[in-house]
Amino acid sequence: MSILEYNGGAVVAMLGKNCVAVASDLRYGIKNTTVGCQMRKAYPIHQKCLLGMAGLATDVQTFLEKMKFRVNMYKLREDRDIKPSSFGNMVSSALYENRFGPMFLEPVIAGLEGDDNTPFISSTDLIGAQCFTDNFVVVGTASEALYGMCESLWKPEMEPEDLFEVISQCLMASVDRDCNSGWGGIVYILTPDKLITKELKGRQD
Amino acid sequence: MSEYSFSLTTFSPSGKLVQIEYALNAVQAGSTSLAIKATNGVVIATEKKQPSPLIDHTSLQKVTILTDHIGMVYSGMGPDARVLVKKGRKQAEQYFRVYKERIPVSQLVREMAGVMQEYTQSGGVRPFGVSLLIAGYDESGPHLYQVDPSGSYWAWKASAIGKNMINANTFLEKRYTKEIELEDAIHTAILTLKEGFDGQITEDNIELGIIGNDHSFKILTPSQVKDYLDEVE
Amino acid sequence: MSNLNEENYEEERGGFVFDNVTRNMFMETKGYQAPIAMKTGTTIAGVIFKGGVVLGADTRATNGPIVADKNCSKIHFIAPNVYCCGAGTAADTENSTALISSKLALHRYSTGRQTRVVTAMTLLKRMLFKYQGHVSAALVLGGVDLDGSHLYTIYPHGSTDKLPFVTMGSGSLAAMAIFEERFKDDMSEEEAKSLVHAGISAGIFNDLGSGSNVDLCVIRKDSVEYLRGYDQPNERNYRTSYVIPRGTTATLSSTEEVLSKQLIINELDDRMEVAP
Repeated sequence: MSILEYNGGAVVAMLGKNCVAVASDLRYGIKNTTVGCQMRKAYPIHQKCLLGMAGLATDVQTFLEKMKFRVNMYKLREDRDIKPSSFGNMVSSALYENRFGPMFLEPVIAGLEGDDNTPFISSTDLIGAQCFTDNFVVVGTASEALYGMCESLWKPEMEPEDLFEVISQCLMASVDRDCNSGWGGIVYILTPDKLITKELKGRQD
Repeated sequence: MSEYSFSLTTFSPSGKLVQIEYALNAVQAGSTSLAIKATNGVVIATEKKQPSPLIDHTSLQKVTILTDHIGMVYSGMGPDARVLVKKGRKQAEQYFRVYKERIPVSQLVREMAGVMQEYTQSGGVRPFGVSLLIAGYDESGPHLYQVDPSGSYWAWKASAIGKNMINANTFLEKRYTKEIELEDAIHTAILTLKEGFDGQITEDNIELGIIGNDHSFKILTPSQVKDYLDEVE
Repeated sequence: MSNLNEENYEEERGGFVFDNVTRNMFMETKGYQAPIAMKTGTTIAGVIFKGGVVLGADTRATNGPIVADKNCSKIHFIAPNVYCCGAGTAADTENSTALISSKLALHRYSTGRQTRVVTAMTLLKRMLFKYQGHVSAALVLGGVDLDGSHLYTIYPHGSTDKLPFVTMGSGSLAAMAIFEERFKDDMSEEEAKSLVHAGISAGIFNDLGSGSNVDLCVIRKDSVEYLRGYDQPNERNYRTSYVIPRGTTATLSSTEEVLSKQLIINELDDRMEVAP
């Protein structure tokens, strides 16, 4: 059993027209036992940037605190919010530091960049190899199913409302075929002027 | 470092740090350097007087590049400046390795000023005998900073340091305008140097560095300097 | 306090961190395998032609049998006159080339001279040898310097070859089959480009670890041409457009956080005059 399956979880990020979305399931498990169903796996880093992580929960939480620390230090030092792409590089180099004793997690980064709010998404593997795309990135135990769903449902230039439907349907359909994730979901949609958070109604089995 | 090394920079009863004042004296004794921030770039200029005609003047360099978009000049002790240049370059690369983004000028200045401050408070070391003029161009436009041996730094529109700084600053105050463009700033920089120059100014005894909105710091070659000298004649 | 200090120094520490090694090894004894890192299965190649070097690469990154990135970039910048293709663990190729590129930049500043390809090669091989193959980067390094055109392969354990035409990665056999057949000395730039293109294409179509597009990089004496997406033989040409009506997804709650408008302060006139 891979250590990434220990707690389970699925995260997906998608790019829309002037907006990005990150969705995750809510299950928190220990192997086959579900012990919680309120665990969000995406976190706002600042107003224009979200970080989603799947993997071993202990590492996810430790790493999140570490990244919050570094982002806050950056903000204090430079008197500006870090660009999502720079944040991606920061995450990547933090993970690569642990090349020979990795943190068991895979992050996705989504955000709006610069004055014109250019949407940005990226993901990395557990040792920080970045992957940039202009459509979607997926991580976690349901990633194979998510790849299939996203390849079929994603289309370019989606408005926030349509992006929500697409990312939600991708997530829900995928986690229904994965024992290690599910129990509802949460979707964050980031537009230039607001962050919309929606809880999804999902199967509880 | 040994457990028993003390800082050489200690307060005098009146609250002064005389070592830092002595360091500033070393700067005052150094050859004049100056810089002007224009609307579309920054120019830095310095005297490069040779103590002997036998010296191969091509081996002297006072204007240096810290990273692609930031350069600097010093007045004071050359060897001390080289230590700072080395640390500055490394810091710029380190920043790039983490963020894949060029270091903002203000950040590099803060780091270098931090090093200089450390040397006023650490055991077994003395303050740097240099003041720096750091010029760069980043996302937020052109920048010019001065850093002193104490580690304090300021952003300037124009500033001069070294031997002739008082006269040069007065001259700059008179000549500076808010709308000045890089080409004019280069001319003003040369004229300012010329004011207090001992002897004939030539392309071999001054040095110029410029950064424009191409975000690339360049040290001018003697022939380029000569062209500018001819323009102000 | 000591913890805070540790964090403070963290960013300047540099080098690898081995904090989790013992834990990870313990977990492995309990039957929890460490996940696999992203690999670039890869076909990478290079040839020397009359006026320089052509480097080429496919653009597929894999995670086990899954295609993790359909269009990744495997030709990395080393110096203005030197580029490097990477195969192996993606994070390793990415970071070792970036590290050496950074070291060479500092070297250029202190010497004031153009980087030599052999210098880049030596730094890379010494680093890889130091890590005894654990940093798994297999590289094709090419460039033009004052001594002419140079092309090297660097293996993960730190050995190197200097040859006029080279291939690396899981698709290296496919590409080499083409090169052995068609390479000749003193080719023109166009001939070299089409040869590398053919080699990489052979990898893309015959090796499962390679796929998607052909990237090329032509390095000449005074110029570089980075041809990202030189050929795109595997464009997606199917797409059914599913329409999901708005309101399809059942939600339990919805909240909106209005982002605070950033206050833009116009530059004040005397902003730069800060009192000493």
